[in-house]
Amino acid sequence: MTELILQALFSGVLIGSVYALVALGLALAFGAMRIINLAHGELVLLAAYMAYLVESRTGLEPYAAIPLALAVVSAVSIALFMLVNMIRDHRELNSLILTFAIGIILTNAILLAFASDMRTTTSAFLQDAVSFGDVYAMRGEIIAFALSLVLMGLLWWWLKASWYGRAVRAVSSNRGAAMLMGINPTRIETVSFLVAGALASFAGVALYTMSVVQPAVGHALTVKAFIITVLAGVGSIPGVFLGAVLLGVTEALTVTLASSALQELAGMVLFLMVLFLMPNGLFGARARRG
Amino acid sequence: MLALDGVTVRFGGLLALSNITFTVEKGEILGLVGPNGAGKTTLFNCISGLVRARGRIGFEGKDMTRLPLHRRARSGIGRTFQIPQPMHHLTVRENLTVAQVFGAGRKDPARIAEILDVMELSHKADADAASALALQELKRLEIAKALATEPRLLLLDEVLAGLESNAKRSFMLKLRELHALFGLTIVIVEHDIETISNLCTRAVVLNFGQLIADGTPAEVFSNPAVVESYTGTAHA
Amino acid sequence: MSDTASSRLLSGRSLAMAGGLVVVGLLPLAAGASPYMLGLLISSLILAGLGLSWALLGNLGGMVSFGHAAFFGVGSYASALLAAKLGVPVLLAIPLAGGVATLSSLAMLPALRLSGPYFALAILAYAQIFRILATEASWLTGGAAGLQRFPGLPTVFGFNFAERHGSYVLVLGMVVLCALIYVVIRRSYVGIALRAIAESEDATRVVGVNSTLLKTWMLMLSAFIAGMFGALNAHIIGFLEPDYAFSGIWSVMPIIGAVFGGYRSVIGPVFGAVVIYMFDQVIAKSLIPVGHQILLGIVLAGMVLLAPNGLAGLVGRIFSRTGGKHHARA
Repeated sequence: MTELILQALFSGVLIGSVYALVALGLALAFGAMRIINLAHGELVLLAAYMAYLVESRTGLEPYAAIPLALAVVSAVSIALFMLVNMIRDHRELNSLILTFAIGIILTNAILLAFASDMRTTTSAFLQDAVSFGDVYAMRGEIIAFALSLVLMGLLWWWLKASWYGRAVRAVSSNRGAAMLMGINPTRIETVSFLVAGALASFAGVALYTMSVVQPAVGHALTVKAFIITVLAGVGSIPGVFLGAVLLGVTEALTVTLASSALQELAGMVLFLMVLFLMPNGLFGARARRG
Repeated sequence: MLALDGVTVRFGGLLALSNITFTVEKGEILGLVGPNGAGKTTLFNCISGLVRARGRIGFEGKDMTRLPLHRRARSGIGRTFQIPQPMHHLTVRENLTVAQVFGAGRKDPARIAEILDVMELSHKADADAASALALQELKRLEIAKALATEPRLLLLDEVLAGLESNAKRSFMLKLRELHALFGLTIVIVEHDIETISNLCTRAVVLNFGQLIADGTPAEVFSNPAVVESYTGTAHA
Repeated sequence: MSDTASSRLLSGRSLAMAGGLVVVGLLPLAAGASPYMLGLLISSLILAGLGLSWALLGNLGGMVSFGHAAFFGVGSYASALLAAKLGVPVLLAIPLAGGVATLSSLAMLPALRLSGPYFALAILAYAQIFRILATEASWLTGGAAGLQRFPGLPTVFGFNFAERHGSYVLVLGMVVLCALIYVVIRRSYVGIALRAIAESEDATRVVGVNSTLLKTWMLMLSAFIAGMFGALNAHIIGFLEPDYAFSGIWSVMPIIGAVFGGYRSVIGPVFGAVVIYMFDQVIAKSLIPVGHQILLGIVLAGMVLLAPNGLAGLVGRIFSRTGGKHHARA
């Protein structure tokens, strides 16, 4: 039993690191524009299918699809941003509905192009088991975990050190003041969506190498990413990582201790509990009340 | 009538109001004075219930501290916002009627007509509040809306700001008229020393969230601490 | 509009609208629509009722829900179980099921304090939780296998509601009734205050409006209506399983219909749901058998961008431009 729990904790941490990438993309777009992109999970899904495309057509390792995924997903992300930017009235409500609609379009486009079958990597290299004492992981999971940590580190450094990073933070804390300082919010928002798209690209390819994807997964990923930002707030990268790991571990433990049918329920209950009991998130981030 | 006892508000690390204690007597017109950021609007927010404060807020002998916003409005505290906030897509008269129905718990078209008349809005009564009114009319609507809730205490946030001196004088007369007509007690946030001296029987000065003076306008404005807080930040 | 809220809650115009709805609604019967066509129309009217309930919450309550399937599903199961296990007459079980959905909405009250996207996603979470609970509570609901043996709609005074024509008339009547309730609320002081809350909550509260209470009422009423249409649908379909009763379709289709028709009007969500559902079933499905919802997504995105007030808004604009000469019915 102890081994099972240890294994669940370990798997939860590994998948949680990829959830963190997904959630950071959502948080970045939210931070810049105050808009929840309900199609964000579909961007991740799109990248996962690019990996499937490259692997099934060329026989290369899925990570060879990164350039293609980056190109396609960034393009879609920017297109999405431009559409959201066209909204004039009732921005909050209409942007929710618009990004939701784009999510429906992407899900069904993927369904049309790739059918509803479940897909995962066929790479023997990535599916090889690696053991760490009593617990096991696929090599793909370990690589995805390492990749996520590196990307989070890069993102942290970029937000802290670069001019863009400072400007992003300025725009998200006070749009008017940022404009007075000569920062063009549209440019910053564009960059935020680009980076969100890039994160989604890596997350999607990583997800394909360690888990199963099918068209309906996109929506579920958006919900997971949203749950994580509720757990963590959108303020800090370590916070998002911890929130994501908490969700991954909760899901994995539920599957191990109860049943896989309850996996989704666990995440939702966690979400509602934090929402109501700790209105500032686990790590005391910004308020979300009207 | 209104008794503040140790009212304290903290926004994160910032002490917005620190241990504010004073009372407002029935029938007074009290000036609330202080430089920008002194905490005047925050104090209004505490009294009207928009901001939760530590300490005690009593009104007509009842403890208001834990009462939600709408209940305070119904118990007789009316307020205006510095930036007028009419109810959009409603006419001027509907704005007042909604305020009366919910704030005073009754429907009395005659009183609405009286308020419209006093606030010189009768000619715009059926015009769309948000789009058809000029800024000064919006400010009068803001007061009219508060009056429609039939308050006994009226909190006015910078209603005289931005008026040139003649308009200011006539608006002050208007406030005196309201004060007498509706038997009001008024607390008004205002920067201008001369206005406070003419209009108010008493003034309270805030600076950096602290109460630094309380007395007649003449006493208050000769107080060295007040003079110091005003030089440098003074603006007519 | 100055004394709308006081004396005439139901103006001649809104009664005319209701009459018009009934007349337009009865046209398919007069035209001798096939049972297949009537079946589609019944489903579209169920969605119309659900759309009204969504728009009531969205327009008056200022809250976007991505989880109306929760109320719909609770209503379906409640009515089916009341009728099957307790022998409650079906026509009584339907409003009772609305009541059960209202009760279930009370669990969501804490979510009312949340703003915008947080509320939307919290409701979505509830819908998921309810679906999983319905699957797990198999002693009551029959679990994933579903529920099949429960009564259909009855025959009253020789009028057979179980038969297609009868079901159609019943559902149409319910839609018109709910539209009238919506109109009455919208024109009342409560409705006016709710719209003011959507513009500026603080400014409305300082004149004595208890915004939380009014929003609670809207959530409860919205749940009641959604639950009743869920119940109606259950008795017409005669079969329930959690994945169907709590399907995301019940959350998504009303949104698309309401946005398409114009969720700020009363007629918009009704009209929009019927058009969108028929378009989806008759046209989109024949063009793209699998993945036909892509067309719905395109319609939804297009409407939000090009005509955020929906067809009702477009028609309104045409009317005001041509001084009412135009009889545009889109």
